[in-house]
Amino acid sequence: MSYDADLSFVFAHTPKVVFGARAADSVGDLVTELGGQRTVIVTDAFLAGQTDLVKRLGKSLGDRLAGVFSGVIPDPTAPSVDEGAAFARERGADLLISLGGGSAIDTGKAMAVVLTEGGKILEHEGYHALTRRLTPHIAVPTTAGTGSEMTLVTVITDPARGQKTFVGSHFLHPDVALLDPTFTTGMPARLTAATGMDAMSHAVEALISTLRQPLSDAAALQAIELIATHLPRALAQPDDLHARGQMLLAACLAGTAFSNAMVSLNHAMAHSLGALHHVHHGTLNAALLPHTMRFFAADVGDRFTRVASALGGATRGLGDEAAARQAADLMQAFVHRVGLTTRLGELGVPAESLPQVAELSLSDGSIIYSPRPVMDPAEIEALLRQAH
Amino acid sequence: MSLDFPSEAWTAAYKDVLNNDPGYKVAGAPWTAGALTFVVKAEPSIGLKEDVSFILDVHQGVCRDAKISTMEEGAKQPFVITGSYAQWKSVIKKELDPVKAMMQGKLKLKGNLPMIVRNVKAAQSLVENASKIDTHFLDE
Ligand SMILES: NC(=O)c1ccc[n+]([C@@H]2O[C@H](COP(=O)([O-])OP(=O)(O)OC[C@H]3O[C@@H](n4cnc5c(N)ncnc54)[C@H](O)[C@@H]3O)[C@@H](O)[C@H]2O)c1
Ligand SMILES: [Fe+2]
Repeated sequence: MSYDADLSFVFAHTPKVVFGARAADSVGDLVTELGGQRTVIVTDAFLAGQTDLVKRLGKSLGDRLAGVFSGVIPDPTAPSVDEGAAFARERGADLLISLGGGSAIDTGKAMAVVLTEGGKILEHEGYHALTRRLTPHIAVPTTAGTGSEMTLVTVITDPARGQKTFVGSHFLHPDVALLDPTFTTGMPARLTAATGMDAMSHAVEALISTLRQPLSDAAALQAIELIATHLPRALAQPDDLHARGQMLLAACLAGTAFSNAMVSLNHAMAHSLGALHHVHHGTLNAALLPHTMRFFAADVGDRFTRVASALGGATRGLGDEAAARQAADLMQAFVHRVGLTTRLGELGVPAESLPQVAELSLSDGSIIYSPRPVMDPAEIEALLRQAH
Repeated sequence: MSLDFPSEAWTAAYKDVLNNDPGYKVAGAPWTAGALTFVVKAEPSIGLKEDVSFILDVHQGVCRDAKISTMEEGAKQPFVITGSYAQWKSVIKKELDPVKAMMQGKLKLKGNLPMIVRNVKAAQSLVENASKIDTHFLDE
């Protein structure tokens, strides 16, 4: 796997990554390093009410815990972010800790923008338009995962337009990604599988993106190997801290990979299906991934050979395209092995909506990084029909 | 005669090439999201002493106006795209894809990114037409 002679790229990697079982129990030390006096925890009602995770963070924070905002909603909306920012401002927050899946971390990132720059979050939509450091932010993922703790974007839904939009900037990288496997053992099997396959999709898509580059590829390939080995283990033995830890690392590596190389068509379709049918993001990515891999089998050179090997394949003697098809078949078997479907129909997506999904996918930022240009809605619709 | 970029003469020429291009009429037809402001950052070493803002008012495949504006007026438009002289030069010479450049931070966007991506064909046609202008770049 080599690179063009005119390769040019930027690789950004800002968060300090702190990893370890029970590492989150000393979050107070990280807050001290960042100079925080009044910390607001950003999380959802379930994690705040039904788990001891907030309590564990609070114990280490002591009187530097100024409040807990538990109003995070899945696929965060602009009003939910503005509400969180108003809460944090009222508590005099000088540091945010987001605790949860991608939804909590994205809410934390967006709140940091509003706390620093004022106004409402939608006034800041755009790419690389922020100009200074934001309120310090420690991200503590409880899924493995979106990798949002490593990325430079926050995905926010604007209910008025019925559309997801983005704020993207290097200033949105959290200051610290705090990866503690004891914070993910409570995930039910379905969420473990779905968020693990979200990470798998990030890695596979980063590997085939037109922005791929050596450093993101290294992270992506390592992520794929870790997920192939450890996602089944985490499912078989939910309290296996080693497997949970390896999955957190995989999600973090995949996050780094796609924050730099971006994702493409698979995510464009998953975002569009999610906006229309409210099915979980990772579940959709899993269902689509093998089909997308087949769709691009002739366009990815030898890049899927190592994906096939990671999934237990033997590609010796095969040409690139045959190896890529084998990787897609193995990915399909892997999705089934982790208990998920590769049929959109089984997720309640009606066939009649596929033309609209195809149309919407064309306006998703990710689509422009596809390994070959995809601009025709009919082509996407045909792929969606195969996945239905 | 080649026209300085940026200048009033250049923006006027841009309006003309866009309105004379049947390709832009088709590619730009879906665009109803409002005017775009392009900001070229100051570059004193080549004689560009201050930031220059120019507004391109395009709607449904027609360029209604193209003009140099004050920074204040430029900032009021729904899309504001900012870049250095060198980056804009690469865009006009078709060496840099502007949508990718936005995602990489080479150009900075204020506004709704999905709207721009959905209209990537219109964006490509805007670039294609800019490249047709006989342009004199200030650093040449
Ligand atoms: N910014 C980025 O880079 C990026 C990347 C990918 C996805 N995302 C966003 O992330 C969101 C999806 O995130 P997600 O998949 O992590 O799900 P999520 O954050 O929406 O959480 C889903 C559900 O899982 C529950 N949950 C979380 N952790 C748990 C745990 N340890 N135990 C039990 N329940 C738990 C939550 O309470 C919630 O009800 C989407 O909004 C997507 O747009 C962002
Ligand atoms: Fe994702």
